[in-house]
Amino acid sequence: MKKWTRLTTTALFASLAALAGVPGASADDIKIGYSGALTGPVAFLGLDIRRGAEMAIDAVNAKGGVKGKKLVLVVRDDEHNPVKTVANHRELVEREKVVAMLGTTNSAAMLATAPIINDELKVPILCPATDATKITENKAWEDKRDNYIFRIGMYGRGQANFLINSLVEKFGYKNVALLTWTAGWGVTGRGELNRRLKELGMKAVADETYDTSDTDMTPQVLKLKGAGAQVVVNYGLVRENSFVTRTKQKLGDSTPYASAWGIAAPAFWKAAGPSAEGVLTSTTITVDGPQSPERKAVLAEYAKRYNKTLDAPFGFFAAYDIVHLLKVVMERDGTKPAAIRAGLENVPEFKGLITHFKRPVFTKDRHDALTEDDMILGRWTDGKLLQVHYDGKGPHVILDSNQKKYINTKTLALN
Amino acid sequence: MAFFFHILISGIATGAIYSLIAVGYSITFTTMRILNFALGMWVMIGGMLTLTLHVTLGLNLLITAAIIAAAMAVLGYAAERISVYPFFRTGSDAWVMSTLAVGFLFVNVAELIWGQSPKPVPPFFGSGVIMLGGIAIFPQHLLVIGSALGIFVLLYFFYYRTLLGKAFRATAHSSEVTSLMGIDTRLICILSYVMTSVLAGIAGLIVVPITLAEPQMGTVLGLKAFAIAIIAGLNAPRGILVCGLAYGAIEALLSGYFYTGIRDILGFSLMILVLFLRPEGLFGTAAKERA
Repeated sequence: MKKWTRLTTTALFASLAALAGVPGASADDIKIGYSGALTGPVAFLGLDIRRGAEMAIDAVNAKGGVKGKKLVLVVRDDEHNPVKTVANHRELVEREKVVAMLGTTNSAAMLATAPIINDELKVPILCPATDATKITENKAWEDKRDNYIFRIGMYGRGQANFLINSLVEKFGYKNVALLTWTAGWGVTGRGELNRRLKELGMKAVADETYDTSDTDMTPQVLKLKGAGAQVVVNYGLVRENSFVTRTKQKLGDSTPYASAWGIAAPAFWKAAGPSAEGVLTSTTITVDGPQSPERKAVLAEYAKRYNKTLDAPFGFFAAYDIVHLLKVVMERDGTKPAAIRAGLENVPEFKGLITHFKRPVFTKDRHDALTEDDMILGRWTDGKLLQVHYDGKGPHVILDSNQKKYINTKTLALN
Repeated sequence: MAFFFHILISGIATGAIYSLIAVGYSITFTTMRILNFALGMWVMIGGMLTLTLHVTLGLNLLITAAIIAAAMAVLGYAAERISVYPFFRTGSDAWVMSTLAVGFLFVNVAELIWGQSPKPVPPFFGSGVIMLGGIAIFPQHLLVIGSALGIFVLLYFFYYRTLLGKAFRATAHSSEVTSLMGIDTRLICILSYVMTSVLAGIAGLIVVPITLAEPQMGTVLGLKAFAIAIIAGLNAPRGILVCGLAYGAIEALLSGYFYTGIRDILGFSLMILVLFLRPEGLFGTAAKERA
C-alpha cells in the first residue's frame, strides 16, 4: 500500500509540475499560449498542432529568437470541452501573460471564446484548425472594431465554395448529392454546401445524413445512387466515412465520393483501407507526392524527433507557419499584444510552408489567410493523399514515380 | 425489391449489435435490479482487447476470446466489489453514478493505451461480400446476427435448464426467500455481474470489425441498446432480441424510404410512448412492488 501511495504522489507531483507551465522559463522570455484537445477524440490534431508550434519555436530560438529573446510555448489541455477552452485562454492571458495564442481544435470552443478574446482579453489568437466561418467573421469584425482572431486554415464558406466549384466546374458534375453528419460540424457544412449549390442555380439531387451510431450506410448509399447522383459530397469525420466507403464497396457502388477536410488525414486510410481508393477531399496541404525542400526538411525532423509520421498535416504546418509569422511581426512591431494584432494585418508577403503568401497575409477585413485559391483537392491513392491537378485533358494526379494519371470522372478510378 | 431486402438485412445486422449489447442490461437487472449503465464501454474494452490480441499479437480467435472472457470476468468481479456492492448493500442508488464512472475510467484508460484514432480489425471471414439471392452482405454481419441468436439460445438454456440458471431466476423472483432456501444470493449477484461483463467483452470481439476499434466505439451503441432494453422490458431477454432486431430494421427502412434524420425522433418517441403505456416494457412482466 505504501509503495502505491508513494507512486501516486510522485505521479501527482509530476503531472502538477507539467501543468504548472514551462520549466526554465525566465521573465525575459516571450510566451505564446496554446490550449487545445491533447486528450479525447481529436487529440491527434491537438497534439500535432502542439508539435508544429514546438518545432517552430525551437527553430526560431536556434536562430537567436526574437531580438535575442527566447520564445516559449505554454500549453493547456482543454479536453475538447469549450468551457475549459475559455477558462484556459483566460488563465493563459491573465496569469501566464502570453502575448499571442494558437487557436484550439474545435469550432464550438473557438466560437465560445471569440467574444471574450475580442472584448476582454485582447490578445491575438491564430487558429490552425477550426473552420466555422463566424470564428473570424465575428461580432468585432461586423462592428469594424479591432478583431483579435485570425486563421491560417480552412473556413467553412470557402471550403464549400471550393469543393462545389471544383466538382461542378473542373469535374463537370451536374447532379450533386449530399451526405452529411448530423453532429455540429456536419450540420453547418450541409448548410454551406446547399448555399453554394443554390448560388450556382443548382439543387442537391438528394440530401441524406448519418449519425454517430450508424455503422452501415446501406440505406443512404442506395438512395443516393437511386437519386441519380453523379457525385456525393460529404461533411463528416474519419470513422463514419470509413463506414460509407465500406458500404459502397459492399454494394459495388462506384458513384464518385468527395468530402470536406474531415478525412484529409492518414487516419482515414488506416480506418477505411482500400475502400477509400479514389475518394476526393478538400484540404489545405498534403504531405504525399512531390514536396518542396523546406517541407521535406521539416518532415524529416518531425520523423526523427517524434519517431512517427504526421497525424494531422494541416494542423501541424499551420501551427508551424503561425509561429514563424508571429516572429516576423514581433521583430518588426514589438511584443505588445495590441501591436502584434495590428502588425498581423500588415504583412505584405510571407513565405510559409503551407503556401507562399504573395499578397498581404491578413487585411483589416480579411482575417483568413488561406482563401479559396489556396485550397487543394486531394485524391486518396493507394494510402496517399495526392493533390489533383488539371490540364486540358482533365483532372489528374502525379504518382511518386512522376507518372501522370488521369482521373475517370465517372468513377474516380485512374485511367 | 432488392432495395428493400438490402436495407432490411443491413438493418437487422445493426439490430443484432443492439440486441447483443442490450441483453447484458437484463442479466444484472433480473438478479439485482441493478444495471451496468456503462455497458457500452465494457463492449469497447472487448473490442480494444481484440485489436491487441488478435491483430497486434496475431493470436487466433478462440484464444483471443478465451483471454477476453477471463479478463472481463476479473474486471467484472472487481467492478462489482468496488462500484456496485457497497451501494447495493446499503440500498443506495449511487451505483447509477459509480457504474458510469467505471465506464468513463475505461474510456480514458483506453485512450491512453490505444490512442483515439479508430483502428480497423479485419473481418473474421475476410473482407469479401457474400451474395444471397442478389443481396450483398458482409460475412461479419451474418456472424453478428448468428451470434445474437446463439447467445439468446444459450441464455434460455441457462435460465431454464441449469440449476444455476434456476437459482438466478429464483433470486430475481425473491432474494429473501431464495437465500432462506440455502442459495447464496450474494454469489448469484456477483456471478450475474461477471456474466454481463464477459458477455459484453465477447460482444465487443464480435462487433469490432464492424464498428472499428476506438475508445468511443461503445458509447453510443450502449445508449441505443439501453433504449431497446427499456422498450422490450429489462426482465425479458427474448423480447430484447426481438426488439433489437426490429429496431435496427425499422431504423434502416425509415432511412431508406423516408429520411435519415427522422429515425432517432421516431426511435426515442417510441421509447417514451412505451414507457408511458407499458412501463415494464413491451415484453416485460410487471415488477412487483416491494414493501
